[in-house]
Amino acid sequence: MADFDWPWQYKFPPFFTIQPNLETRKKQIEAWCTLILDYQKYLKSYSLDVKEAQNSPLFYNKSISRRLHEDGIYTILGELQKKGHIEWKDKGRKECLIMWRTPEEWGKLIYNWADSKGLLNTVCTMYEISNGDDSADTDFHGIESWLLLRALKSLQLEGKCEVMAGNEGVKFF
Amino acid sequence: MGGLFSSKNKKTSRVTEQDNAVLQLKIQRDKLKQYQKKINVQLEKERLLARQLLKDGKKDKAKLLLRKKKFQEGMLVKTDGQLDNIEQMVHDIEFAQIESEVVKGLENGNKSLKKMHEMMSLDDVEKIMADTQDSIEYQREIDELLSGSLTQEDEDDVLAELNGIIQQTSQENEDINLPDVPKDKLPEPSKEKTKVPKEAVLAS
Repeated sequence: MADFDWPWQYKFPPFFTIQPNLETRKKQIEAWCTLILDYQKYLKSYSLDVKEAQNSPLFYNKSISRRLHEDGIYTILGELQKKGHIEWKDKGRKECLIMWRTPEEWGKLIYNWADSKGLLNTVCTMYEISNGDDSADTDFHGIESWLLLRALKSLQLEGKCEVMAGNEGVKFF
Repeated sequence: MGGLFSSKNKKTSRVTEQDNAVLQLKIQRDKLKQYQKKINVQLEKERLLARQLLKDGKKDKAKLLLRKKKFQEGMLVKTDGQLDNIEQMVHDIEFAQIESEVVKGLENGNKSLKKMHEMMSLDDVEKIMADTQDSIEYQREIDELLSGSLTQEDEDDVLAELNGIIQQTSQENEDINLPDVPKDKLPEPSKEKTKVPKEAVLAS
């Protein structure tokens, strides 16, 4: 896998301190949001532990020895939450779910895949979709089950599939 | 085609009992695949371990390990067979489902065809045809009555008159000799000439 393409701001020390100027701050938070989503997408990661993330390269740039502190992380995650990209797993806000694609977008991807594999009108297991051989070269290979379920539920609203009892399988239409 | 929103309003599930059965089979298949993965990982591990043991000179232990490995390879073959069985079963169910749908479709077609036939029973058709025949007869009678009001003599007179007219008109057509279309060029119309008659009309 190619190395992650860090944005120029990542090597810019002030980027790691939340800026007091409103205008600058808005731009900074915007850049952070994009960076987080891009990085998570690169890692194919669907959740983020705030404690652990503080020491990950995402928030800690060793080469310029700058890190974004907890308050800053929470500010940016709050912004991402407002945009609907993350959801807190617990009330203590220790871990959050990250959706760098919305469930609807995932749903569309999965439906297109099912269509191309001739799986319409067929029953599929969740495991088959997320870990099966057929989906090995897709973006959603290895998707976490909660997100997969949500994507399928959004498809279900469109009448394109039906999640079966026990949430273990789905039938595409 | 049930409109845009029917799928939302419809509470009935489109998942059939067979679908559930297929799902159970597929879940089983996934479990078998996971099991195979596990065994494959173990086999790899044991192969390395056996080599290590041989290097260390623990031949007995290596032999034991290889025996275990052999056994697990047997399991792998067995699970392959089971996987085949399951896939076969899934295909059978899916195909049976399609077949039953085809039969259902044929049945529906048959039903509607029957309904159409009921709408036009043989008796009705016979009756309609008889009615039509009656009407035709009736029409013919009326025709006869109307034409029958003239006697045969009158009829002959009518024919004679008709022939006379036809002859006359054809003779007339022959008699009329139309003049030829003039071939000379028309004289150039001058403005004065056209105006003169108008003035003459006014004067008179």
